[in-house]
Amino acid sequence: MFKYMKTLNYPVNIKKRDLKMAKYLHTQFGGSNSELAAALRYFSQKFSMPDEKGKALLNDIATEELGHVEMIATMIKQLTEGASVEEMASAGLGDMYSEHGLGVYPSNASGVPFTTGYFAVTGDVLADISEDMAAEEKARAVYENLIELATDKDVIGPLLFLRQREIIHFNRFKELYKYYKKKGY
Amino acid sequence: MLFENNDYDFDILSLAGLNFNRPQNNYYEYDNTNPLVDPQEGFQRGNMWRNEYVPYRGMTYEKLNPTSERESLLFKIMEMDFAVNDLNLYLDLHPEDNMIYEKFKAYTKECIRLKDEYARTYGPLTLEQTNKNSYEWMKNPWPWDKSGGSMYV
Repeated sequence: MFKYMKTLNYPVNIKKRDLKMAKYLHTQFGGSNSELAAALRYFSQKFSMPDEKGKALLNDIATEELGHVEMIATMIKQLTEGASVEEMASAGLGDMYSEHGLGVYPSNASGVPFTTGYFAVTGDVLADISEDMAAEEKARAVYENLIELATDKDVIGPLLFLRQREIIHFNRFKELYKYYKKKGY
Repeated sequence: MLFENNDYDFDILSLAGLNFNRPQNNYYEYDNTNPLVDPQEGFQRGNMWRNEYVPYRGMTYEKLNPTSERESLLFKIMEMDFAVNDLNLYLDLHPEDNMIYEKFKAYTKECIRLKDEYARTYGPLTLEQTNKNSYEWMKNPWPWDKSGGSMYV
């Protein structure tokens, strides 16, 4: 089960409104390489892991990813807080405003709703973990794109932190992959 | 083909023709005496492991500067919680590594101590810590709030 701790995984304290950046950040909330896709992917795949190492690692990374979903959603909320309808429309967020107001909805940067079609559960340990490794690298690449788009250090700081977590998770998954391959899966 | 012939030792980046000058990510080869940075440094980096840290284009991590005693204590909790989590992932694959497990136990103990201190002074971080005369769990600020004392809790 899950229990909530009343902190973020890493501090988010954005003082400057930036609606365009908020739009871009949606990709990591509800896009194909998003934290939400990561959390649900590992959460779902853990049920077919064959031994303790796989069960533990997928469970624990899935849990951490849910905290990253919360960080990204918090960044979007803080970047849009108090924005007027005119500001939203002129930043290209008119489409999102029409359905969600100033609410934070898991879509990609273009407003396409999140779908579990972004990830797979095959029941095959090697196939699933190879996807997990690729997912971490894709998310790292997306964070690097977002860092290039960002101008505010209050935005860049959390993005650098999240990028580094992708690197760690990739390393852990890669090691788990090698371990299962050696075991003959 | 990618996964034929027990080809488990592939490097996904070199296959893609990319070279990010990554360090070797082989945990059996880490510096046995000093593989970890301290929790404060690790938290700010997003990475507790000395040989796994890969900065982006030479960019340094953001230094966190607490603006109050409450925030300072909260950052310490977040640091310890982070350190526990990063060692947790490693230990899932290396439960026999006693040196790291000892570190894990020390960080966990310190984390519990700091959370108790925070709950006594400022309010609960977990539901179980909600035990004062009035019900404080639902009180603002929540972690995503931008206003109301400390930004983060």
